[in-house]
Order: sequence, then C-alpha cells, then structure tokens
Amino acid sequence: MPQGTDMINVGFLSDSERELILEVLRRDEALRQAEEQRVRKLKTELLDVKRKGAKRSSGNYSQHSCGRCLEPLSRLSLFSTQCKVCNHHVCRKCQTVLPNGSWLCSVCVKELDLKKRTGDWFFDQRVNRFSTTPGHDLVKVSLKKKLPLKKRETTGEVLLRSTEINPDAPTPVPRPRQKNQTSDKRESSENSGSVASRESFESKQEVGSKPRSDTDSVGNASISSSRTENDTDQVIPDQPRRKNVSGRSSPAGSSASSLTNPVKGETVSVDGHNSETNTVSDVKEVSPSPELEVDRLFKKSIKRAIKPSGHVSTLDLRDGCDKSEASMGNRSYSVPGLDVKEDEEEDEDIDSLVSFHKRKMASSSSSLHSSKSGLGSMMSIYSEAGDFDSVDVSGEVIYSASYDEHTQSLQVFIKECRGLAYGDASRQLTNPYVKCYLLPDKSRQSKRKTSIKRNTINPVYNETLKYSITRSHLFTRSMLISVWHHGRLSRNAFLGEVEIALDCQDLDSPTEECAVLMSKSATAVPASSFSQYKGELVISLKYVTPQKPTPEKIKGKKAVTEEGGELHVLIKEAKNLMAMKTGGTSDSFVKGYLFPMTAKTTKRKTPVVKKNLNPQYNHTFVYKDLVLEQLKEMCLELTVWDREAMLSNEFLGGVRLSSGKGTVKKGKEEVEMDSAGEEVSLWEKMMQYPDSWAEGTLPLRSTMGKGK
Amino acid sequence: MTDGDYDYLIKLLALGDSGVGKTTFLYRYTDNKFNPKFITTVGIDFREKRVVYTASNANGTTTGKTFKVHLQLWDTAGQERFRSLTTAFFRDAMGFLLMFDLTSQQSFLNVRNWMSQLQANAYCENPDIVLVGNKADLADQREVQEKQAKELADKYGIPYFETSAATGVEVDKAVITLLDLVMKRMEQCVDKPPADTASGNGATKLGDAQPNEKKCAC
Repeated sequence: MPQGTDMINVGFLSDSERELILEVLRRDEALRQAEEQRVRKLKTELLDVKRKGAKRSSGNYSQHSCGRCLEPLSRLSLFSTQCKVCNHHVCRKCQTVLPNGSWLCSVCVKELDLKKRTGDWFFDQRVNRFSTTPGHDLVKVSLKKKLPLKKRETTGEVLLRSTEINPDAPTPVPRPRQKNQTSDKRESSENSGSVASRESFESKQEVGSKPRSDTDSVGNASISSSRTENDTDQVIPDQPRRKNVSGRSSPAGSSASSLTNPVKGETVSVDGHNSETNTVSDVKEVSPSPELEVDRLFKKSIKRAIKPSGHVSTLDLRDGCDKSEASMGNRSYSVPGLDVKEDEEEDEDIDSLVSFHKRKMASSSSSLHSSKSGLGSMMSIYSEAGDFDSVDVSGEVIYSASYDEHTQSLQVFIKECRGLAYGDASRQLTNPYVKCYLLPDKSRQSKRKTSIKRNTINPVYNETLKYSITRSHLFTRSMLISVWHHGRLSRNAFLGEVEIALDCQDLDSPTEECAVLMSKSATAVPASSFSQYKGELVISLKYVTPQKPTPEKIKGKKAVTEEGGELHVLIKEAKNLMAMKTGGTSDSFVKGYLFPMTAKTTKRKTPVVKKNLNPQYNHTFVYKDLVLEQLKEMCLELTVWDREAMLSNEFLGGVRLSSGKGTVKKGKEEVEMDSAGEEVSLWEKMMQYPDSWAEGTLPLRSTMGKGK
Repeated sequence: MTDGDYDYLIKLLALGDSGVGKTTFLYRYTDNKFNPKFITTVGIDFREKRVVYTASNANGTTTGKTFKVHLQLWDTAGQERFRSLTTAFFRDAMGFLLMFDLTSQQSFLNVRNWMSQLQANAYCENPDIVLVGNKADLADQREVQEKQAKELADKYGIPYFETSAATGVEVDKAVITLLDLVMKRMEQCVDKPPADTASGNGATKLGDAQPNEKKCAC
C-alpha cells in the first residue's frame, strides 16, 4: 500500500523523543486555545457592530440615511459617501479614514481589521495553496477528500491528536499542490550535502512525485480521519481529551487500522456515545477497500458529533471565557419540563427565533449585563426587517396569567382582543390569532397559539396556553404575547405585541389585565432583545473555466467538455446553528438556488446532517454551463434549514452571494441583490480568480428579506 | 500560560542546518541569555515573546499606532532525521528566520535547499524570510564572507543579518525586521482585495449606478 505522501510518520521517534515533542505540542495547544478564544471574542464583537445598523433590503430606508447609524444624510454629501466595499452610503461619523487617505465605513474597516487580528489573512492565503485540488467530480470527491481541512488547523494540532491516539500512525499534512515536487526534485539533484541528507531529499522526491491518484485513497483515509477528529475537537471544547489515550474515542484510530498500524485502542462510537468504548488491543485490521473504509468513516464522523454538539452554542461564542457552561446547549436546562409541542403552522416568525446565548443571558446575570446594551439596538433593526407584512398597530389584548402549583405550569389565559388593526387592509379583513412565547426561549418549544378567529377585529378566544415550568424559573422569564393576522394565501401580518415580565406579576391571584398592543420596535426593551446571531456558514466557491487543461495528477476521467464553465459551490460546514429540536440540536441541510434561473433547475440540496449545530456538509453544488461574465448578474442564495419530517422545515439562516448591485429575477419577482460585506467580496474573489477556491465564513442572515 | 491580551499572534519559525544556533538565537531573543552548550533540538520546540509593534507607513514614518504582538517562535531541529516532521510545521508559520553558521561553509551552501523546502511547504510560494548568518562573534573561524551572503540574500530579495547569539548583536533586529515584513504582508493581504474590487468595479459600477442616484438626489 503506498504510504507516506502527505504524512508525518512519527514512528521513527524514540519514546523519550516522542514525549518531548508531545510536551511541546501541548504547550502549543494551550496557546492555540487562548488564541481561539480571543478570535471568538473578536468575531462576536464584529457581529455586534455589524448588526447595529446594516440596512436590509426589506426595510424601506431613505437614500438619505446613513447605512450604519441610520442618521439622515445631508443631500450634498450623497455622492461622496458611498463606502467602497459595502456600497452603503454612510455619514461622516461612520467613516474611518485609512492610512492611505481613502476611507471605508466603520463596519468594513472593522471587518478588515479583524482579518488581521484573527490571522485569517494568513489562513485564507494558506487555504488557497493547500486545498486547491482539481475540481473534477467534486461532489464525490468532497465526501472523501480532505478538501480544505479546517482552515485554521495547524500541524501541531493534527500531530498532537494523532500522536496521542496512535503514536505510530502517520499524520497527514496537506502539501501544496503541484510544483513542489519539481522543486524538490531539482533540489535533490543540486543538493551537495551529506549522503544522508541527499537520501532524504530523494526519498521525499520519490514519494512526492508519485501520481497523486495512486495515493489518493490512502491519503483520503487518514485525511478524512483527521477531519473527523477535528469535529470532535470543535464540538467538545472542554472535554478532558488529553488524559486517557486508549479510552478516547477516535475515528482516527480506526482509520489508522486500515493502514495496518497497530492500534492501541479503537473506539467504536457510531452513535456518538463516547462511553461506548470498545477496546481492541493491537488489532491489525486490513481494510479491503480503503475507499469503502473512508465512506464508512465519513458517515461515522457525521454521527459522531451528535452528542457533543449540545455543548457548543452561541453562548460559547459570546462569552468564550466561560467554558464551564458546557451544558447550556441543552435545552432542558433552561426550560425544565417544558413540553415539546411541535407546531405545524408555517413560520411567520422565522425572524424572531432566538439564539442560545439569550438563554444564557437570562440565567447568568453577569453576562446579562455585559452584553445587554449592545443588543437592544439590534432588535429594533431586525424586527423592522422582519419577514412579515406589518400594519399600523392598534388595539389591546385582555389576558390573565396564573401559576398552577399542582401541575407546575404557567397558564396564560387569552380572553380576547379589542380594536385590532386590519391585517389585510385592502379587504378590511383580519383573521387574528394570538401567539405567546415564554422568553427568553423563542424557539418552537416555547411557542403557543390560540385558534384563528375569522374576519373580526374583536376576537374572543377564552383559551388557555400552558407552559410546564418550575416556579423558580419563572422569574427570569417574560411573556411575549403577539397578535397576528392569518393570511390564508398571503403572508401573515403582525398586528402588535406586548411583553410582560413575570417577576412583577401576581401569579397567585390572577387578575384580568388589559395590555395595549405595541409595534415591534416599541417593545424592544433590552430585556426582550434577542441577538440575531444565527451562526455562520463556511463555503468555498470556484469558477471552473471551460477550456481548463486537465490538471496533471488527477485521473483524467471527466474532462470538462461543456461550452460554458462551471460554478462549484462547496458547502463545508455551518457553525453555531440555532437549535430547533429537543435536546438542543437541529437536523440541518443547506439548500441552494442560483438566480436568475427557473428555480427548479438550480435547486440543490445537501444531505441532512442530524443532531448537530455545527454540521459538516462537505457537499458541492455544481452549476454548469456558465460564462464567467454571467455570474456578475447572478445571485446565489444558500439557506440553512432544520429538517422536519412531516412538517415544514424551519429556516435557520441564509446567505446571499452576488456582486451586491442591481436586481435579479426570481421567478416573477424582481429582487434586489442586497449582498454585503463578505458575501460580495467572496463572490468577487471567485470571479477574480477562476479555477481556484475562494473560501469564506459568512454570517447567516436571519431573514432572506422580502423575496423569500 | 498566555492570556489573550494581545492584538496579534504572529508565528515565526527558525530553520537551518543542525548546529547553526537556532535554539540559542531564539533563547537570546526571548530571554536575552546565552547558553553555549549544544543541545540538539528534538523535532520541534517553540518560545514565546510579547512585543510592542509600532505600525509604520510605507514611507517609514510611524503612524504612532502600537499593537501588542504575541510572538510564537518555532524552533526546528536541523537534523536530517526530523526533516519530515519539521517541514510539516512550515505551513503554520507566517515568517521565517533562515539561519546558517558563518563559520560553516556547508551550512551556507545548504541555505538554497532550505529555501526550496520553504517554497514548497510554506503557506505561500514567497513567504517572508530573513536570512541570518549566526556566530558573528567567532570572527577568526569565519568561513562565509558577508559579501557572499549578501549576494545570496539579494538574489532572493530578502534581508540579511549577521548576528551573534553569544553577544546578542543584531538578534533583535533580525526578528523585528521579519515581524515588520509579516505585518506589512498582512496589511497588503487585507487591504488589497477590497481596493482592487473597488477600483475594478468602481469604474463599471459608477457607470450604471450613477444615473439612478442622480435621479434620487435631484
């Protein structure tokens, strides 16, 4: 079996040497972890700034207001105040002058600065070098191949992991494509050093110059294993994973076994239970087909991440220093006993789903204060840009709330509403229903609805909405009662809402209360503000030019014969998705459309990755017959969904990639291509450098705007 | 242990033949001490140092902005047997101290090998490198002339320093120069792309976008 390409074999080290190196790697790990925390913090800061003011396509903003702080702009300044990167018009205050005299808006500057501070500039460069494998058959390949490993991964990280698991296993290290082999070769012939050194150079050359296709499968095996490993690391930031070498679950262990290396402890954990360990001592297992092995591994890797996924949540991002809060991802901690009621109605409240850290904020008062203020202003912006038709709010809701000690439940009695606005103004029609959330949980589990009353602005419900919750938990909660018009054919319309804190309610002797309905922004007091951080999507884009010469080292199976080129969209992974399911997880998949095209033909989906908030898709969408020029006028929409069997899927977030200018036809609608920031720069990078991967991490939008 | 209280984490890596003084060089730099004993490095190691970096413009004037930089200085084994291990670490470094021994012609000749190892394994094909001739204090044993080394460095277009870990001469300067190169590269990497797209599309965009805006404005 060919072995060695792209691997570090540490088997030649003596035990004491290995110990020394491990010690170094551990020190490196400590540093790396501190760095990761710092980076997380920085990224969160950026999101805060970003969310503060960005205009959204769905909001009606004046041309004359600043794209960042929304202050009105003076008319004269209009021409000179467009930020070159995001194209927003911004006021003087939101401009930052760069050393070279030009300026950008504050958010774009911050974004650039962050690229530097996080080291992303470096990793981005490196990704382009080490992961650019020829783009044929990517759909298949991406399943097995490392393609880009985790961008920020370092050799030390890989090595540390592999060494601790199996000291004899070679460790994969991505090598730059092409070229190097030749330079190695030249080098070795020039090498005037000792015989020993010459030998090594030559052996390197020999290995390196082997056709890649030959060694692919092996490389894949260990590479995919390293990625698997990676998953584990990402999702269990706080597991004591260095302690028990043999007991540690490790797909790498099993992959190593296919490489005929003795395995110290192989752990089979198909369903993600780390405790289910199966130690096989010194087993030599030769896999019949490395590719099969890889496939199997890969599947396993997906499943593996199930359990730990609960540990990672947005709050981890917000407040990186608090690692002990690992279990916050688990819904039941904050909503004990809340009965799960799946809701079949379509989701007018996509926009209002809330991320985990809010829950964290509610339960830990210290962090509550720290991030509260920044979130307040976000809320109003976001709700304004919400995915619903809004009307002038009027009327009131009559309700009462009481706590039933016997059943340990909060009972919200919705009596009636009076004087509601018309949801469908043109037809003077309102079909109102009342919806209630027990904040800060804004997920489906906390949603309760009344029935829909037909054609009335004074609906009488007399319905009780129940929440199973312990009394002590109530004090951190508040009720968000909103009224909606149910549009049978059109979108639901928001008719008003009111938020009632439960700590100042007398729940023992319920009295009927009358609350005036308010519009969204009015109720956006800090206590009810929800950050709309929806997580991030990591993708790579590549435009494959038509007459591309088939790269040397790939099996020349599928030459590109189409007249146009291809757009390859590699959906790598999502991070920090919202949890939609019990247990704080989501079964997510990514859907892609390329506009303007008839929607059906450009629809692409990834497989569903179950029970994971940081799913790895590694799936490639290929769009064929595209001319590079066309892409300027096109718009790629990627949306992440929580798969609901039998019900409509829940929207988790999305991105819109385009040049950010002009409009695009989506079916019958003409929609503005409102891409901004990274969405634009990544799209342009893709067009600028055909045949190489442009990778980016894009924050997920909480709404795709009106053109959804 | 390190706290995250810094602005940039910059990773540099020292490479070169065995015995040229990579470890002592780094020890001098981080701790300002000298250990004359030769202890061969096993595989890899690293040292850390916190420095304050003052940003400067292209024309050399300081902007007055200072940053806290945390340096992670990787030390690699020069020995052949660790080669596959050490080269694997090249890809994680942002800048390189390519060292040779001024008292060893062989170590100087091998610079070219190291150079191509770097080109093959670093994060990009032309990473930031500083050429360092160490042991400048041993003038009587000198085998490599400054002119020779300078020429080679010029050929590669990289700075050259003659340092002594024993006396500490030029050690700081070599590292700081490299740091400066890396920081400049960083600025370029980050500032260039948007500038490009801005100027590239700016022209075309202005063309079709302007009319609309004029309408709105008037």
